[in-house]
Amino acid sequence: MNKQVNLKQITLLLLFIFGCINLYAQDQFVTIQLRNASLKDVLKTIEKQTTYRFSYKSVVIDDKKDITISKTKASVSSVLDEVLSKKGLEFSIVSSKSIVISDKMEIRSNSKTSLNRISGVVKDQNGETIIGANVAIKGVNVGTITDINGTFSLDVPESSTLIISYIGYVTQDIKVEKQNIVVILREDSKSLDEVVVVGYGTQKKGNLTGAIASINSKEIITTTHSSLAQSLEGKVSGLQIRQNSGGPGDFDTNINIRGFGSPLYVIDGVPSGGASEFQRLNPNDIESISVLKDASAAIYGLNAGNGVILVTTKKGKKGKPQFSYSGVTGVQTLTDMPEMCNAAQWAELYNDSRVNIMLSDPTSVLGPAFTKEELEKWKVGGLGYESTNWYDMVIKKYAPQKQHNFSVRGGSDAVDYYISFGTYKEEGLLKSNDLNYNRYNLRSNLTVKLANNLTADINLSGRYDVKRSPGEFIWIYRGAFLALPTEKPYANNNTDYFAKVSDNNPLPLMDEDYAGYNQQKSKNLLTIASLTYKAPFLKGLELKGSFTYDTQIKMNKSVTKTYNVYTYDAVNDVYNATKINSPAKISNSNDDNNKVMIQAQTTYNNTFADAHTIGATLVYEQSQGFYRYSWLQREYDFYTNDQINQASINNQLTDGYESQSASVSLVGKFNYNYKSKYFIDFAFREDGTYRYASDNKWGFFPVISGAWRISEEKFIKNNIGFINNLKIRASYGKVGENAGEPFQYAFGYTTTGSGGYEMTDGSFTTGIAAPSITNENLTWYTSTITDFGLDLSLFNSKLNFEIDFYQRDREGLLATRNLSLPNTFGADLPDENLNSDRVRGLDFAITHKNKIGDFSYGISANLNYARTMKLYVERSAYRSSWDKWRNGNTYRWSDVVWGYDNIGQFQSLEEIYNSPVQDSKAGLLPGDYKYSDVNGDGLVNGSDMLPSFWNGTPKLHYGLTLDAQWKGFDINALFQGSGKYTIYFSGTFTNVLWGEYNTPAYFYDRWHLSDPYDLNSEWISGKWPATKTVNYNSNNVRESSVFRKDATYLRFKSMEIGYSVPTKLLNKIFLETCRFYINAHNLFTICDPFLKPFDPEKIEGAYSAGQNYPLTKSYNVGVNLTF
Amino acid sequence: MKILIKKTTYFVLSFIIFASTACTDILDLKPLDKISGEALFSDPDGVKLYMADLYYYLPVEDFNYDPIKGFHVTDGIKDKNTQGFVTDSYSLDGAESAWGGTFAESDLLWWDEAYRLNRSVNLLIAEIPNLNVDEAAKKKLVGETSFIRAYLYYGLVKRYGGVPIITDVQEYIPGETDNLKVPRSTEKDTWDFILKECDKAIANLPLDASEWGSSDRRATKWAALALKSRVALHAASIAKYWLQAPLSGTAVDEGLVGIPDSAANRYYLEAIEASDSIMSSGKYSLYKPNPANPTEAAVNYQTLFETPSVAPEEVIFIKGFVRAGNKTSHNYDWWYQPQQTANGRAHPGRMNPTLDLIDMYESYDNPGYSAPVVTTQDGMVGDANGFVAKKKYLHFNSPEEIFKNKDARLFATINYPGAVWKDVKLVIQGGLVKPNGSSIIKTKGSYTHTDGITYYTYGAESQFNYSGFDSYGAGNMTRTGFLLRKFLQEKNDVAAAWNQSTTDYIDMRYAEVLLNYAEAVIESGYNANNAQQKAKNALNSIRFRAGHTVEIPLTIENVLRERRVELAFENRAIWDMMRRRTMHTEFTARRRMGLMPLLDLRGTSPQYIMVRMYFESTITFKEKWYYRAIPGTGANGLTQNPLY
Repeated sequence: MNKQVNLKQITLLLLFIFGCINLYAQDQFVTIQLRNASLKDVLKTIEKQTTYRFSYKSVVIDDKKDITISKTKASVSSVLDEVLSKKGLEFSIVSSKSIVISDKMEIRSNSKTSLNRISGVVKDQNGETIIGANVAIKGVNVGTITDINGTFSLDVPESSTLIISYIGYVTQDIKVEKQNIVVILREDSKSLDEVVVVGYGTQKKGNLTGAIASINSKEIITTTHSSLAQSLEGKVSGLQIRQNSGGPGDFDTNINIRGFGSPLYVIDGVPSGGASEFQRLNPNDIESISVLKDASAAIYGLNAGNGVILVTTKKGKKGKPQFSYSGVTGVQTLTDMPEMCNAAQWAELYNDSRVNIMLSDPTSVLGPAFTKEELEKWKVGGLGYESTNWYDMVIKKYAPQKQHNFSVRGGSDAVDYYISFGTYKEEGLLKSNDLNYNRYNLRSNLTVKLANNLTADINLSGRYDVKRSPGEFIWIYRGAFLALPTEKPYANNNTDYFAKVSDNNPLPLMDEDYAGYNQQKSKNLLTIASLTYKAPFLKGLELKGSFTYDTQIKMNKSVTKTYNVYTYDAVNDVYNATKINSPAKISNSNDDNNKVMIQAQTTYNNTFADAHTIGATLVYEQSQGFYRYSWLQREYDFYTNDQINQASINNQLTDGYESQSASVSLVGKFNYNYKSKYFIDFAFREDGTYRYASDNKWGFFPVISGAWRISEEKFIKNNIGFINNLKIRASYGKVGENAGEPFQYAFGYTTTGSGGYEMTDGSFTTGIAAPSITNENLTWYTSTITDFGLDLSLFNSKLNFEIDFYQRDREGLLATRNLSLPNTFGADLPDENLNSDRVRGLDFAITHKNKIGDFSYGISANLNYARTMKLYVERSAYRSSWDKWRNGNTYRWSDVVWGYDNIGQFQSLEEIYNSPVQDSKAGLLPGDYKYSDVNGDGLVNGSDMLPSFWNGTPKLHYGLTLDAQWKGFDINALFQGSGKYTIYFSGTFTNVLWGEYNTPAYFYDRWHLSDPYDLNSEWISGKWPATKTVNYNSNNVRESSVFRKDATYLRFKSMEIGYSVPTKLLNKIFLETCRFYINAHNLFTICDPFLKPFDPEKIEGAYSAGQNYPLTKSYNVGVNLTF
Repeated sequence: MKILIKKTTYFVLSFIIFASTACTDILDLKPLDKISGEALFSDPDGVKLYMADLYYYLPVEDFNYDPIKGFHVTDGIKDKNTQGFVTDSYSLDGAESAWGGTFAESDLLWWDEAYRLNRSVNLLIAEIPNLNVDEAAKKKLVGETSFIRAYLYYGLVKRYGGVPIITDVQEYIPGETDNLKVPRSTEKDTWDFILKECDKAIANLPLDASEWGSSDRRATKWAALALKSRVALHAASIAKYWLQAPLSGTAVDEGLVGIPDSAANRYYLEAIEASDSIMSSGKYSLYKPNPANPTEAAVNYQTLFETPSVAPEEVIFIKGFVRAGNKTSHNYDWWYQPQQTANGRAHPGRMNPTLDLIDMYESYDNPGYSAPVVTTQDGMVGDANGFVAKKKYLHFNSPEEIFKNKDARLFATINYPGAVWKDVKLVIQGGLVKPNGSSIIKTKGSYTHTDGITYYTYGAESQFNYSGFDSYGAGNMTRTGFLLRKFLQEKNDVAAAWNQSTTDYIDMRYAEVLLNYAEAVIESGYNANNAQQKAKNALNSIRFRAGHTVEIPLTIENVLRERRVELAFENRAIWDMMRRRTMHTEFTARRRMGLMPLLDLRGTSPQYIMVRMYFESTITFKEKWYYRAIPGTGANGLTQNPLY
């Protein structure tokens, strides 16, 4: 007990420091002047002036206009005493929000039967108590409401059933079998009353007219990963996510709404950060995420052309402080990796390549790479001929990750608060243990009631994270793949001397102590302060002003140390050193990005005559950005410390620049619905920006949308009971997206992009470049988005469908008219808003939730399919119809790749001689690929290529979530995948013996001569062509199905199994809830067998080499506690 | 409560006031990185910065010129490196170690960038009359801009023939392009325009670089004269030899390519006069013209290219490299370093001088004649088909012995088997012959002799301890037996990182002027002003500087051999063959040669034999390649060159 109290006391103290907070309810006062009013009017008046809301326990509030009352600054209880007693009613103040009115007689009459006093507590799935939940006895009009602690007590007849309900939660029936009842209410996430955050406001889900998807905190946190994006992948229809690499702290996941491009991120109403910052949010802090997928994004104007992702963080909640801790720890390992050749395999392949070159090019001046004896030695593998497995020396099997989160949430009449602190720690898979990532997130969201109608919200969120790595990963990983298995890591096998090898020796390279390190720090502080005023003189009018300061700071440090690698000279027994990374260098960079934003917002919402609901919002917004970058570097004559002032002052380099930005916007939004049946919404944004010439500074972006809830029509409502929602929606609007570098309209000379000259011996003069042509006409491009949707809920919302068809047309994409400008003009034409394109697609989601006894479960599936087409493309006239067919792209889907049609492998030289000429560059050998001569001209060249392949961007995304709860157990499983795209590596994984480095082991199964030292010996067939080095292998790596592989995949993305310990046990250790879970991420993947080792989700990476950080799978255990 | 209501009212009021005073002037931002033309050009220092940009984009075929990618490849905009290609990778004299040396249509292009420079220089020329500087300064700027223009159009005409000559700043009216189209001038008119610009430069540029104040690397009258000498000789050669490889078609009919041979002598005369102006000015002379012996001559010659600033008497125009990092640095010490001294650089050893070039060098015993490397006892040098066991080879205790008594410039230009470079003896060996006469050639292997010593194919066990013939590693080793020495830093250590070399590039030097003079005199038969004797002296003075002591007669063969040897790897060889129309005759199914040392274990003690061999397949040059295809003819409306 003491422990618990202490924690609470500490927290109280903390809260006290944040501001003087009154935790205790007090009676509220009203001024009321009514003549011939009904009781309803009185209660409404009280509701308007106070935070109280009334609920009724088996009473009828009549409409008789029989009350006349006049009171000034009277306590609520005194007013109620006066009006209720006359009607034989009584009341009790349950909390600062809740007053229950009941019938004196009713209770009395019931109390005559035999009653049992029972008590209980109502909680949500997170174990947080629910205040104000209705608890009613089935069949009798008697009930109560839970108090500030979520508890209730009630006298109930024997063997009766309780009905527990609360808005936003699934109503539960519970048979009374014992005196103490714990009720866990499950959130009804798909409920039509669920409130969804939309642009500049909220909206009931049932009233949405646009295509807006949302996901709440609980659905997000079922996946454990450092990137928030990984916690969303596969869960939201229309949200396309692809993890580009798995490096700790990389955050280069591709996030894209419906195939539109990089979206705008809005956090608590403020555009802040990009995809990388979004991914670093603490998932535990997030209340919900909404995705504006259609023209509803227009309300964000410029920069919202690709849709908007709205993040809403958790706010305080009335009630006693709820402390929670969640922690998870686990290990990560590679999803898979391709195996490389061992020494004997490599030597054989390399020898083959030299022999095969002699065969394909008779004038070649090369012989076998190894003598027969030498090759034999590698095969036998005696002393000095051992194979080196570089990969195992560099990459470890498992790397740990850890996550802790502590939060406190609660509220009183004066202050609601949510405060959290989270950490994330992840290690990389390098054996040196020098690659790791740490993050700290702090958030404090306070809502302070300053006066009756005036509240202040102060949201502070800070983030600090550090990634540390020894140099660039790709070079280490490349070394692990490419270093020859015939080479040894240490000279003369003496571990004091790293060996000099043909590519980089990855061992010192991955070691901070030798090669140095990179450290990337980022800091973010987002401060949003706002005041909200509910006008007392006009119901539904609200004014809000807010001020935001957003600062993002990146500080990178790079230390490149010089180290030695050695060759051993056996004759003289000396180690000859070669310096790598000379000279040693240190550099720091600082990147300081600041934004100040002011918003003023007026909102009016009201319903007239119980039928006409209107809403109107007007916003003025201005935003200013200030950016400064600086970079400095020094070299070392001799490495001392990783401090810039410890390095030499020779060869210092610096760089830096600044930029400013500004925008001013006026936003308007109007909603109207008639009886929640017919909806029409209109919104606009007038955006002004600094970027363009004065005539092009201002843009207007409107959106109109409407919906018809057919299910509200009598012919359905009265006849088809199982349809509880059927709605069709349509939206149409324009959104903008900034294009091109700013200030293109301004004429001026600049040193950027210019040359420079040694005008004087020994000194460099930076040149100044002539200005390019000024560009007065440049402006943003405009997206026109059309969306048709249908929502259907059946069987009491147990089964929900949602489908949307959409099209986005973009106009004004940048292109130059350079094709028509003589290339003797001497300057490039500026970019103009010329081109256009179109995205078309569909989203589909289906959910089913049900409960059978103690067992509740949910299934939800979603799918998104989208393609992009070029419409107008500025270009010169086609030279011929063939040119148009081959090179034209207007009004064509732009997601295809042209390639050759592979029709097998040549089986003999004879077949080669009798086939169309494949590739004139080098003589072919048996086993080489044969391509179809489509036009039959006897020559396989560019004219024979066909649009046969999908490009590298997935067009299809799908996800399937299964979840179930039974008693204390819960399970959540997510399957996810993408389809209709291809992957094509260049370099090592497609070119056998690329760079003559080590090569994948799969290439060993190849065509080869039975005796490589006899050019006339028999061919032995194999899966891959005869081994030839890059210059001689061009025929085999031509664009075709051989190496361009369909990357469609389905993966078991995540799985979580949890167990909540029964409350009874917990009370003894002063816990309210306790849940243990295990989860796993990226468990297995089904895809093309060639791509499996590379992981089909990962992109090809730098140089398309496939050597970026591999994707990982992870296994974790975690705990959630509240106390 | 009253107070609270008041406060609330104030809040609402201020809110309304704030919202109604929405200010839009925050949008009126100015770019932070642009300055106005008035500010720039009203100060000579500003003009100097602008000029630095123009010089940077001059088509100087320096260390950063890549025939495939173009000029200044280290500026970070293009891929940062040349991959070791220079124009000489396509000449008779050198080969790139990894890639085929086949000349392609897409090589040696330079068009859009040329006209960008043209526009930039025109912008300044238009500004000169308005500049707020004195007349003397304006005069120098007129000279300097003419020099840039002449240099620029020379870069174009030698690639494309006649080109559009645009001397004003064209103005673009959106949507209109016809007024911007300028037809090609004839090739002859283009050459004449360049010579006229040269004359303007000669008349206006300062007599001494010091007149530029501290900017002593800007052009002088002498640079303009040297340029004119080069340009006029080029034009004259085309006029004289056009018929060696005549083309036909519209471009020829319109005179856009080709010059009538009647014009040859006038151009030769212009070359003679321009060269003579420099020669008789007394301003320039050869660097260390009288060495004591060939060894000293070799040292002097190597030093000249390692540190061009030691020889102001010879160097007329220099393209300086000054800052490691980018833009004004290059990668010669990266690409051309022998593998043994690569010190961690990936892919060194890229320039492989050919035996064809080595054979050109004279021997001091036989002045006036090339001295091909003799490898066999019969003294025949025609066979380059590689090792034949029964052939009677000359034996050497050390591979470098075979080059004994060769022209000093060989040792300063080439790193050869057995050469000492940066205190390391270069191991360049292609194989070994076992006592029984069987051999291991260019195949990784070893042989343990009866004396107990193990001998390796490439002369050492570890690939880091030899520099030749092993094909492993994509071209790190020479495949001709030779590596480049000229221009590389032997004494100074250059950091083993990208863009660290800052060796200056000599674009024009006195020796070339002498050779231009000699060639023009002999080709035109000009004999006024004692020209024949002066030309003979010019030719021999260069040879004397290389340690020769015997005069040779003035013949075209002697002049051309001198050009090849003296100017080797200065990116002149290709253009000499182009202008004299010998590319297509030299490269008719040509296989270039290398020299492969083998360790012969057949004798009592191991000795070296040297094997002449072909190192690549055949190369052929098409006649139409004397002119590059004009790009963008669809939009610029220009007549295309023949056969494109």
